[in-house]
Amino acid sequence: MAIIEVTNVSKTHDDVASGRKVRTLDTISLSAKENDFLILLGPSGCGKSTLLNIIAGLTPYDSGVGEVRVGGQLVTGPNPKLMAYMFQDPVLYPWRTVLKNVEFGLEAQGIDKAERKDRAFKYLRMVGLEDFAHYYPRQLSGGMAQRVAICRSLALETDIILMDEPFGALDEQSRIILGDELIEIWRQVRRTIVFVTHSLTEAVYLGERIAVFSARPGRIKAEIVNPLPRPRTIGKPEFSQMVDTLWNELKGESLISIKRAKAEQDEIALPHE
Amino acid sequence: MTMRRPRPAIARLIFVGGILVLWEVFARLSHVSPILLAPPSKVFAQIFDIALLRGEVPDFYANALTTIGEVVAAYAITAALGMLVGIAFASSKVIGDAFEPVLLVLYAIPKIILYPVIILILGIGVLPNIVFGVLLGIFVVVFNTTAGLRQVEPNYIALARSVGYGRLAIFIKVVLPAAAPTILAGLRLGFGYTVIGVVTGELLVVNTGLGSLIDWAAVNYHTPELYALILITLCIGVAGNSLFSLLERRWVR
Repeated sequence: MAIIEVTNVSKTHDDVASGRKVRTLDTISLSAKENDFLILLGPSGCGKSTLLNIIAGLTPYDSGVGEVRVGGQLVTGPNPKLMAYMFQDPVLYPWRTVLKNVEFGLEAQGIDKAERKDRAFKYLRMVGLEDFAHYYPRQLSGGMAQRVAICRSLALETDIILMDEPFGALDEQSRIILGDELIEIWRQVRRTIVFVTHSLTEAVYLGERIAVFSARPGRIKAEIVNPLPRPRTIGKPEFSQMVDTLWNELKGESLISIKRAKAEQDEIALPHE
Repeated sequence: MTMRRPRPAIARLIFVGGILVLWEVFARLSHVSPILLAPPSKVFAQIFDIALLRGEVPDFYANALTTIGEVVAAYAITAALGMLVGIAFASSKVIGDAFEPVLLVLYAIPKIILYPVIILILGIGVLPNIVFGVLLGIFVVVFNTTAGLRQVEPNYIALARSVGYGRLAIFIKVVLPAAAPTILAGLRLGFGYTVIGVVTGELLVVNTGLGSLIDWAAVNYHTPELYALILITLCIGVAGNSLFSLLERRWVR
């Protein structure tokens, strides 16, 4: 049975600028099995992050037609026992040490101090940051901060980890290194990961399955199984071929998305009477 | 030998010391009347005399305690009420939109013109001084509290929501600490304004407190006493400020 099941989910919201209703997601159906590494790939503004937020229970979806089930239960709000969420920015609290940041989610569950510390250190060791446990976030580099954020979501020991472009703000080398670390961790702890990205390389490098989104309103255009064996190497012919396949699916959508962004810009520059 | 960078504390000491020396030399060598200018040596001697009740200053400790009491009372109200109003403004858009403009108008008027009204209503005593202290200090506390709470990064809150915290827990564990630097800055400024308000009140309607002693020294041409009392009053502000520096070092990261 699939651990995440999205059935016919749509999302409409009122656009404040134009006063119109805008449909961001259109009857999306998607599922993920246990231990899946599912990539949500799409042009900017296609609603892939919105879908992730809907699965996380952070954003409501249009009521009536569709439904989202996680672990068999209908999603009505955040469920920290089942899902951990990771942002594009590390979102570390500057007044807490690294250790206290990793423990943050565990405090919410009333786990006692000793166990919190044990668990936090277990994952800090996994990413090689145990010596930085008593540092404050401002003393860390971008890559280190994002590793701490990974630890914080792992420490919750949920079956599912939802990641919204977690390496988007990093330089390319850090991206690849953190990607490798994430895959290594994923193989060790076997969780279901849903990973939003707009990077084709990242999608092929990390994903088991890749769901390609259309431009807004977001629909699933293709679901592609990534057969490449691990460890994967960027630039190998099979790898490039896979990137090409994705790009063929995505090219038209990206063009639409870019044209639309430009049109919206022009509209702002020259307002109608 | 490498050049050592001068330490700020030492630079400050040299600056203050230099001014004191210049002041002393000028006061002794120039022909400015001693009624207008007292040399610092005399002023500091006078501080000791006042503290040991040897001089002519009447009821020093009773008056100092009155002022300290007024400042503590006024500041307790300023801080508590100011933060409460600030929280109300930030947590409800309706309350904020409805009442913030009112406060902004009040903030813009020179508060001193309200003092006669306060005296009229409350009479002469410590109460009008406390009220005037609050009136001067509370605005910056309200505005900084509101601004600090509103500027909390939305992701800070989203993260706390995703790990299952409720509204109150998010407020205490995330919103308050995130806003703490701005709120503390407001509390620090508010303290300074509260002291100004209280002492101004004492100087305007001479009745009690250090303000009344300063007025007494001025009208009787007790110039060294006047300077000494001003410095003593200054100490309240310095003491409060040091307390905030301590708090900020502990809480603000």
